[in-house]
Amino acid sequence: MNTRQLWRTFWRNKTAVAGVIVALGVVFMALLAPVISPYDPLQQNVYYRLTGPERAHLFGTDVYGRDVLSRVIHGARVSLLVGVTSVLIGMGAGTLLGMTAGLLRGKVETGIMRAVDVVMCFPDLILGIMVMAVLGSGLDKLIITIGVVMTPRFARMVYGTTLSITEQDYIDAARSIGAPVWRLLMRHVLPNCLGGVLVMASLWTGAAIRIEANLSFIGMGVAPPTATWGNMIRAGIDHLTNAPWLSVFPGLAILITILAFNMLGDGIRDVTDPRLRGG
Amino acid sequence: MKTVLSLFCTVLLVGSIAWGVELAERQLLRIAFDAGDLSTLDPHFAAATMDRGVVDMIYNGLVRYRPGNIDPEYIEPDLAERWTVSEDGLTWMFYLREGVYFHPFPGYPDGYELTADDVVYSLEKAADPQRSGYSGMYGGMSFEALDEYTVRITLAEPESPLLFLPKVADYSGGFIVSKRALEENGLDWFRSNPVGTGPFAFAEYRPMDRVVLVRNERYFRGAPVLEQVEIRYMPDLSARELGLRRGELHLIEGLREQPWVEKVEGLPEDLAVDVFGPGETHVVHFNTRVPPLDDVRVRQALAYAISREELMVFIGERVTQPLYSPVPEFLAGGLTREQAEARGLLYEVDRDKARALLAEAGYPDGFGVDVIITEMASYLSPTQAIQAQLTHVGIAKDLRVVEHSTFHSLIRDDLSAMVHYECWRPNADVFLTHFYHSASRVVYGERPITNFSHFYQADYPIERARVALDPEEQTGWWKEAQFRILEDMAAYPLYILGFVYARQPELDYVHDLVAIAALYPQITEKTRILAGS
Amino acid sequence: MIAYVVRRVALTVPILLAVLTLVFLLVRVAPGDPAVAALGDLASREAVEALRVRMGLDQPLWRQYVQFLAGLGRGDLGRSLITGVPVAQQVGSVLPHTLQLTFAGVLIGIVFGAPLGVLTALHRNRLLDYLGRTFSLAGLSVPAFYLGILLMLLFSIQLRWFPVVGAGDFADPLENLYYLVLPALTLGLIMTAYVTRMTRSAMLNILGEDYVRTARSKGLVERRVIYTHAFRNALIPIISVVGIHAIELIGSAVMTEIVFSRPGLGRLLVGAMMRRDYIALQSIMVIYAGFVVLLNLVTDLSYGFIDPRIRYE
Repeated sequence: MNTRQLWRTFWRNKTAVAGVIVALGVVFMALLAPVISPYDPLQQNVYYRLTGPERAHLFGTDVYGRDVLSRVIHGARVSLLVGVTSVLIGMGAGTLLGMTAGLLRGKVETGIMRAVDVVMCFPDLILGIMVMAVLGSGLDKLIITIGVVMTPRFARMVYGTTLSITEQDYIDAARSIGAPVWRLLMRHVLPNCLGGVLVMASLWTGAAIRIEANLSFIGMGVAPPTATWGNMIRAGIDHLTNAPWLSVFPGLAILITILAFNMLGDGIRDVTDPRLRGG
Repeated sequence: MKTVLSLFCTVLLVGSIAWGVELAERQLLRIAFDAGDLSTLDPHFAAATMDRGVVDMIYNGLVRYRPGNIDPEYIEPDLAERWTVSEDGLTWMFYLREGVYFHPFPGYPDGYELTADDVVYSLEKAADPQRSGYSGMYGGMSFEALDEYTVRITLAEPESPLLFLPKVADYSGGFIVSKRALEENGLDWFRSNPVGTGPFAFAEYRPMDRVVLVRNERYFRGAPVLEQVEIRYMPDLSARELGLRRGELHLIEGLREQPWVEKVEGLPEDLAVDVFGPGETHVVHFNTRVPPLDDVRVRQALAYAISREELMVFIGERVTQPLYSPVPEFLAGGLTREQAEARGLLYEVDRDKARALLAEAGYPDGFGVDVIITEMASYLSPTQAIQAQLTHVGIAKDLRVVEHSTFHSLIRDDLSAMVHYECWRPNADVFLTHFYHSASRVVYGERPITNFSHFYQADYPIERARVALDPEEQTGWWKEAQFRILEDMAAYPLYILGFVYARQPELDYVHDLVAIAALYPQITEKTRILAGS
Repeated sequence: MIAYVVRRVALTVPILLAVLTLVFLLVRVAPGDPAVAALGDLASREAVEALRVRMGLDQPLWRQYVQFLAGLGRGDLGRSLITGVPVAQQVGSVLPHTLQLTFAGVLIGIVFGAPLGVLTALHRNRLLDYLGRTFSLAGLSVPAFYLGILLMLLFSIQLRWFPVVGAGDFADPLENLYYLVLPALTLGLIMTAYVTRMTRSAMLNILGEDYVRTARSKGLVERRVIYTHAFRNALIPIISVVGIHAIELIGSAVMTEIVFSRPGLGRLLVGAMMRRDYIALQSIMVIYAGFVVLLNLVTDLSYGFIDPRIRYE
């Protein structure tokens, strides 16, 4: 199947298209946050606290009298930034490690893959909590942490693909005529891995956003007053009985965003794995 | 006459039925604290609110604060029936009550009688930094058992009763523990298996869930009314609140904010909310070593940029009291508004003045400052509110939010330019020594504690007050120390935050809630649950 | 076969050792100090230092490490630095709650997810399929803590049917169940989403296989085809997938415990983290990692039993 056909199948997949549209919507919301949000997300108003949804504040206000809608809009920035960059980091580092292991074999391979095995012994969230505790809170640390969590997963997949590629004759042939390793890498291995890696990246962006939300909810994410969906819910949970909007709206934003990325990932997978094409 | 008398009698009779107390059938009290778990039940280490409360029900001191009231004026006998002090203020004698028994523990199914031996052991433990978090309070003291029921405490320097008695009261290091339980089972065991003499005995601990206490039938003030007290660890406010509303809990730690108080009072379930003291002081300490805060004009500008009133509106006037000096005014040595104002040390919000001072100091456009703060709501909320206030004069406060124990480590390593601190200390001396004496300077002091400002200009008055036996002279020195602190603006006092608990109206403490050293409404042998209406 | 099992089990030993080392180091590299956490804010630096000595934190790292390993070798997890309670006792008191919650979640997932998966596969591309897939996608996307909050809002706060938090006594099964319903439902709905999805794709695969087609063409009754041929064969991949997803479910279980304030291993972990209780923390991390290693081992071995070719890998 050529690229054009792939595109066509993709666009025929309603779930995937819906995913793309919603995800793009979230991206635009994040990019245009300062323009479209009705208020400054940090502007406090001591005399206008915990008011329910109304015309002036569609999602109500929080304990500091800040506009929840504006904070939800700005929260998209953190979630997307963390989701996308951490997956990129994991993708970069994981691809590099996986290819190196698969190509060089021997001790390097053992070293890398055993390390991957060890790190993968920890469930995502628990590894995230631990690394976050070591690094401390903050946006950059959060991105690195989730990147670290993602890395071994990419490494394992790329390693597998690399092995299956290097087993093919033409690589042996290329090796035997003395082609340098990096050229093998760039010419043959990387292009062959890329498809799978991209599918995975799209699937895992949703997972990364969820880890971010989980960590923020535990209180180990980006520090207040920066609005993130996770820490908004955390702050809202004390007021669940009298101001449920503090938790409900940011949670809805998380749900919709992750859903969009999962739909997108599903669509891409359906296209690349024709056996499962659902339609 | 006769009819009048009989009428009177009838009224009395009816009155006593109506007003007489009818107890609920089950005297099982369920309390929920705002904590995920306990930290320790060793009273000499217990510092967090949820631990202090439990320890308070299990242990006694030589003397005690009157239930519900922290005023040292009303200190009364507890394990000691009476006490005397020598004229030079150096030797204190305590005469113990006879027939006081420790709770049962392994090997002692009936406990054993408390003697002077236990008291000496206990106070020595409290004074030992290896086995106590409060050792600093007992420096230079020696303890001796003269006979089974007599204890002599000798001080290195004289101390007024106001300063000394709280150290042997039912608070922190003053709690008396069982020597045999500790020696036979070790400190590690003891931390989660407390053995004391108080109205309630420890029965069970389930990690992350609850502690169960049972009535001490042999309590020397008489067996408690309550059969059992269950302490639940519930870090989620909504959960505690619903538990109370559903009648599953009798008493919960609430949110120390006025909107919450009003909300709970407005609920259909007819619940009672108690706001009581002593509360905790909220003070912002400025690090006088870090530029630009090393310039007194900058610190004053910060003070003028902060609005105490607005913060109090934010937290709520029913749960806060303004604080005009590091020591609260209801403690001996605290400054009133008038006293601070007379010296021009009120620092009421004046943003123009703040800008002028900043310009004078060379920061006409303000500056940025990095501040470390804990994620705990009672710190974080006002810190964020202050952050918003400071932006009005161009000061950008960059917050680094960390979890609570890390916060305490980092600020003690002198890493934050401003330290927002919430605490309660038993008297002016502890407040001033810990926060403003040069020996207590973090990192650089001889005995670093919590002097985050690196303030050293009040050592003399603080030390003079400590050894002054005349109350008037003592408070005079304390006030002098605080004038110096405020003149230099080493720290800006914000407000005192009260404690907020909500309860079923059937729960009757019996004592009035004024201010309680154990920082919870206090459950005693008299506390009872009345029959529901 | 036995040789493979032995080899596979032997392989986990160095991995476990590496896990232990990694945990030990990570825990100690983290900033913060258990002595400060234990003593609270009134303590002087002197008292903090004294406590550090008592906790053994002044010892060189290698000695702490040796003690840690030696303790584990004896089956001694040590005592919590904060409460002084033996970690084994702490874990023992909360583990039943975690296991109960996880088991209930998986059970709900299988009971509802498997039939739903079969149904959606059979109604492929029809309304039921779309509904089922939408549901499972939503379930895969929703963070457990948010789902927990929504259930709490509806069932505890609005309808007042269930308690909000905590866990019931095991001695009182009814009360225990009463407290379990909402957390189990939270985890169960997420698990249902996983199982539905896996069952659907496994069924689709198998419905396309030759023998099912043959069975159908032989004119066997549709229902029999589905159950005797298709579903049975789909079961094996489903079960192994459940095994693998149990690992992913751990994160959701931790979040469920946190949001419902249930005693459990996940909350114990986060609590120990916050208070820098190194001793408790390292043991809990090891338990989690050990669980994953075990699950991987069982999954791998079961593949070996199911598909003999894998043995010779």
